[in-house]
Amino acid sequence: MKMSTVVRTTTKMVSPFLVTYAAYLMLYGHLSPGGGFQGGVILAVAVILLITSHGYAKVRRRFHFNWASLIESSAGALLVLLGLAGVAFGAFYANFLPTEGGIVLPFNVIVGLEVGAAFTFVFYILLRWVESD
Amino acid sequence: MAALPILFAFLIVLLDVLRLRGLAVRAVFLLGAVIPIPVVWLSNEGSEVVGGWARKAGIEVALTETNVPFLMGELVLFAFVAVYSLSYFDPRDKKTPKVLALLLLTHAGLLGAFIARDLFNFYVYMEIASVSAFALVAFSGDKGAKGAAFKYLILSLLASYLFVFSIGLVYMETGYLNADLVSETAAPSRELYAAIAIAAASLLLKAGIFPLHGWLPDAHSRAPTPVSALLSGAVVKAPAYGMLLLFSSLPVGLTLRTVLMGTAIVSIFFGIGRMLIANDAKRFLAYSTVSQMGYVLLGIASLNFVGAAYYAMAHSIFKGGLFLAVGSISTKSRKLGEFGYRNAPVIAVSILMLSLAIGGVSPFIGAYAKGLISSELGGWWKLAVYLSTIGTLTSFTKLNYHLMRRLSPSSKGAWKLSSFGLALAALLAGVLLGAGINPKDALGIAIALGLFAALKASGVLGRSHPAPSRDVGREVNLMAMTLVAAIVLLMLLGWFTPAGGR
Repeated sequence: MKMSTVVRTTTKMVSPFLVTYAAYLMLYGHLSPGGGFQGGVILAVAVILLITSHGYAKVRRRFHFNWASLIESSAGALLVLLGLAGVAFGAFYANFLPTEGGIVLPFNVIVGLEVGAAFTFVFYILLRWVESD
Repeated sequence: MAALPILFAFLIVLLDVLRLRGLAVRAVFLLGAVIPIPVVWLSNEGSEVVGGWARKAGIEVALTETNVPFLMGELVLFAFVAVYSLSYFDPRDKKTPKVLALLLLTHAGLLGAFIARDLFNFYVYMEIASVSAFALVAFSGDKGAKGAAFKYLILSLLASYLFVFSIGLVYMETGYLNADLVSETAAPSRELYAAIAIAAASLLLKAGIFPLHGWLPDAHSRAPTPVSALLSGAVVKAPAYGMLLLFSSLPVGLTLRTVLMGTAIVSIFFGIGRMLIANDAKRFLAYSTVSQMGYVLLGIASLNFVGAAYYAMAHSIFKGGLFLAVGSISTKSRKLGEFGYRNAPVIAVSILMLSLAIGGVSPFIGAYAKGLISSELGGWWKLAVYLSTIGTLTSFTKLNYHLMRRLSPSSKGAWKLSSFGLALAALLAGVLLGAGINPKDALGIAIALGLFAALKASGVLGRSHPAPSRDVGREVNLMAMTLVAAIVLLMLLGWFTPAGGR
């Protein structure tokens, strides 16, 4: 599945900006509207856009299936470790960072990676059936 | 203490990363299965709010006298299931790490659900457990497994959505989700009755109580053996714990409770009836779960929460053990009368012990739990419980009668170990909890043997149940309609009667 040159060029240009926007949402989630989940979804959209315009086979060569899986699982592990680190400071998920927003910032970033990787992963798996070329 | 279930999530994830190495995956899986035992052991009873927030804002988890038995049953069962499943699933198969990860997720979900003192938190963890259970059922190579998993998925999710809707109603009425705070502010009102009715009906479906049990026999009998053990032993306990939370925190009318007790009794006898005519060994055990969950509901509906909790623990141990033991000798055929334990003494001893335990014979754990359940009941209810004990013993006489006469292919050492381990656990737990030897049980066994001989002679037992219809969609529709009918009925009960004493 391959779309016209216009679409392909546009998506190529839009995707990096989407990634930037996702990063902004994750990093400023504790101060402004946004947060980990929203950032993660936009991160996934950046990849999904490329897949729909350029075709599954081509994108998969660059952005590997296993990478998505690896990012997803290690982000999950980090999330738990963040919670466990709080135990040392009194309670599970205790807020131990003295910075603005505390552990909300790392939490949002990790959740963003987790959600983004997971959405890409799900999209890959569904496309495996839809598109076999 | 709160870190517990999430610790597993971490371990599961690690499994995924380590997908390439067989040994590491197995080690991590075992670690994930056993580590919570010392953690529960070391954490003292009491409650804690996650993140150290105020109680009104945070999520409270606790170890109380009602949920410790649930937890113990789950932990013991899962440890043996873990050993069993390591030798059950082929390590060279690519799917195995996924199955193990899903098993650990179920484990995490169950533990999280059992320590929750907060309705929404409970819901989330129950969903983690049941969503991984759907996938685990579908992983089975059995012919009807996909259909069974589909039925389980649709009905269970329907019930979950209704349950979360009723939680919303509770939140709207009381302003809290924490069970203790809800009970402080709950005042009888129509909305609250509706919420109780919807929540009760959907949890009944998820627990597999009689009129709403339709998905259970298929899902539990077609899943891989260790998964069946986990499903029957522990996953159906999560909704039971939810009902316990609900009934302990909201004003539930006396009429509703009486109706639920009636349903429980009907469920018990229905399960026994289906067990007597069942031909498939695992279906037999699945119907036995329908029957046994009736006792748990009976305990909850009579507000005897400790009794229900201990019964749930007992059932986790012996039903899990039975599934593992019967599963390990029925690898070729599951039809009763085509396999047996004649040449497998360890399995034979464990199935006999577990059958006695499930029949409530002392000094096994079943006797203690059944004693607790019936201690709070009035005359007629007690009689019903006694009669159902005899019914259970009769149907398990049937199981053992068929198993005693046939040979079976040899089974692996780990399978024997986990079956026998759970049988021993049933005995030890009974002895430790102080179920003394009761000579009256011999009478029960004698009546059961006589009854079995009579039924056998009359030829009722040989009747095979009708072949399941092919049309999954129609079955799902029928069950969904039953669920809606149950909700409407329970709601009407709540509306037309004043709230009884708590």
